[in-house]
Amino acid sequence: MADAKLIGALAHRGDVERQPGLSITLKVVTGRGMIDLRGNAADAKFMAAAKSAIGVALPTAPRTSATKGDVTVLWLSIDQWLVTLPREKLTKTFAALRKKTEGMFALATDMSDARTVIRLSGDGAREVLMKGTSVDMLAPDVIQGTVRRMLFAEIAAACHVVGAEPDVLDLYVFRSYADYAWEWLLATARSGARVRLYGPQDIPTT
Amino acid sequence: MLLITCPVCGVEGDETEFHAGGEAHIKRPATTDPENVTDEAQRDYLYMRKNPRGIHFERWMCARGCGKWFHAARDTVTMEFKAFYGAREPAPDLGGTASPKAATPRKTAARRKKAGGA
Repeated sequence: MADAKLIGALAHRGDVERQPGLSITLKVVTGRGMIDLRGNAADAKFMAAAKSAIGVALPTAPRTSATKGDVTVLWLSIDQWLVTLPREKLTKTFAALRKKTEGMFALATDMSDARTVIRLSGDGAREVLMKGTSVDMLAPDVIQGTVRRMLFAEIAAACHVVGAEPDVLDLYVFRSYADYAWEWLLATARSGARVRLYGPQDIPTT
Repeated sequence: MLLITCPVCGVEGDETEFHAGGEAHIKRPATTDPENVTDEAQRDYLYMRKNPRGIHFERWMCARGCGKWFHAARDTVTMEFKAFYGAREPAPDLGGTASPKAATPRKTAARRKKAGGA
């Protein structure tokens, strides 16, 4: 039997590479490995074990992330993190994490295929996102590195601010919602559908 | 729209980012004395809920944030949250903000009559 082939949730779509008429750039991030890690942040032994396995100290401040090289750890909850790293490094890091946290009250799971990552970049990326969420993405505390879980367009999502000025946002959605989220973004990010916080809104042109 | 602050992760958000879990501080009789649980106690535990006019202690979950449960004290008259506290903490004494006295049944009946209907 041939080796299993990894196919992204949006690979079947023809409009992934080029989307004319958008005010921002949308991109599907592929080849990203994701490990869901749970453990007690107050346990110094667990934190040390996780750090030695991943190479990055787990962030403990709410809604933050920690990056070192190509590994980024996103804070999801007071006892949950999402370790994102290149797919090639996944097997090794995952095995190390499992081994180092063995016997501890901790759990590491390979969740690489559970979520789809859509990258929104360009000025106005935050405004596009704000059309689907009640979270104020323009608040001063939403800076580079901020991770915010939210109800986005009625689905569960997490937004990671990868870069600011110009904005680069990674939107994590569940794989089964990838098509929906993609189409929602295609419709909402059209140039004519630019959001204004106050006053009359532009009427979108098709 | 209710604005809620999660005491666990500190996030401030809209009602839609949270999940309401009903009345807080309900004690399960079988936890303390499983041998002697009366039908009445079990009924009250399962079905009887307060519906106060004033401060109501309730459970909420930070559904789109850290995913943890916590408690909140909400004034059902003004819809104002008086306190947010951890899921394992007892209800806070809100002293001066005690619930206003509920209208007596008699008064309610009189008011209904005045309004000219049931």
